Amino acid sequence: MSTPAFTLTVAPQPLLFAGIMTDDTNALATGLRQRDPDLLDRLIEQYQQRLYRYLLFLTGNPSLAEDLFQETWIRVLERGSQYNGKSKFESWLFAIARNLVIDASRRKKMSSLEDLGDPDSNMPYDPPDERASSVLQMLVSRENDESVQLSLLKIPPYYREVLLLRFSEDLGLEEISAVMATPISTVKSRLYRGLAALKTAMTDGAA
Amino acid sequence: MNENLHERARQLLAQSVVEGLSPADETWLREHLAACSSCVQEAAATQNVLRALRAVPVSLPRDLAARTQLRVRLRAQQTSPAANGSFWLWAVTAASWLLGVFSAPLVWRGFAWLGANFGVPKLALQFGFVLWWTVPPLLAAAIILHQKALTAEWSNKN
Repeated sequence: MSTPAFTLTVAPQPLLFAGIMTDDTNALATGLRQRDPDLLDRLIEQYQQRLYRYLLFLTGNPSLAEDLFQETWIRVLERGSQYNGKSKFESWLFAIARNLVIDASRRKKMSSLEDLGDPDSNMPYDPPDERASSVLQMLVSRENDESVQLSLLKIPPYYREVLLLRFSEDLGLEEISAVMATPISTVKSRLYRGLAALKTAMTDGAA
Repeated sequence: MNENLHERARQLLAQSVVEGLSPADETWLREHLAACSSCVQEAAATQNVLRALRAVPVSLPRDLAARTQLRVRLRAQQTSPAANGSFWLWAVTAASWLLGVFSAPLVWRGFAWLGANFGVPKLALQFGFVLWWTVPPLLAAAIILHQKALTAEWSNKN
């Protein structure tokens, strides 16, 4: 039997905006403290796809995701002085967005994203309703016929979130832990269970 | 092949993408995959999931970035010190205070003239002189505090 083409590592993807590496977190922190409007414009441009995707898959609601997207950047403007430049900007950004999602879920009692905090609770996962799913499906590109994206919607949000942060956003375990304000051991556990759940959902979808 | 070996291979496959493998585990996994077709399929399924997860494309709402940029800039203008007037209030207060300092001798003479010509008690004149100094900054401070309270209330509502 021949050796399969199998890689075990994830290649990091450098991100650029207007000549400043996102790694230059101190320059970012200074700009945010000064409420630099041009810097904010560039950040919105740069992170629009990632942030909107994160919010969309977390809420399952395009309209709410859009509102929360705008609200997240308003928070970035108003609380920019709280970013100290010691962590990655995207970790801080996603943490703000996540808190807004939780606030919104408390207000609107949507498919309980409060469950993001406790997957081990005995509460059963309530999947998004058919209408919300179909709207979401329209927004998700159909280029992959295997529809992993659609399988993502079938798994509980606390697994979906951690999978997206790890494999779509390329955040490290510590960064995810910071975003979710949970221990790294919890992050790992959710990643293992999430991967298994997603594989099962894909298998069921293909069957 | 022992089922435990397949189970270990599956665990290592998941571990490799979640937290990485030690060199020894990686070597063991490679050797196992070279000889096990079912675990190769498992590895391919894992890679398929990861590949799809890394490329989850989403159509952005029309002009989302532009609309957000506009909203952020508007909020920045509304909440900047220059926009809510406190900058100019501080400037006027400073100018008023400087004027007060430099006009103090003249004002003191004016109060003295009032006392000499109209018989106003000295205590009333001293009180009036203190008011001359303290009323403008107290008034400015009250306006600033009121503005801050209004801004905070507006931010909480929005």
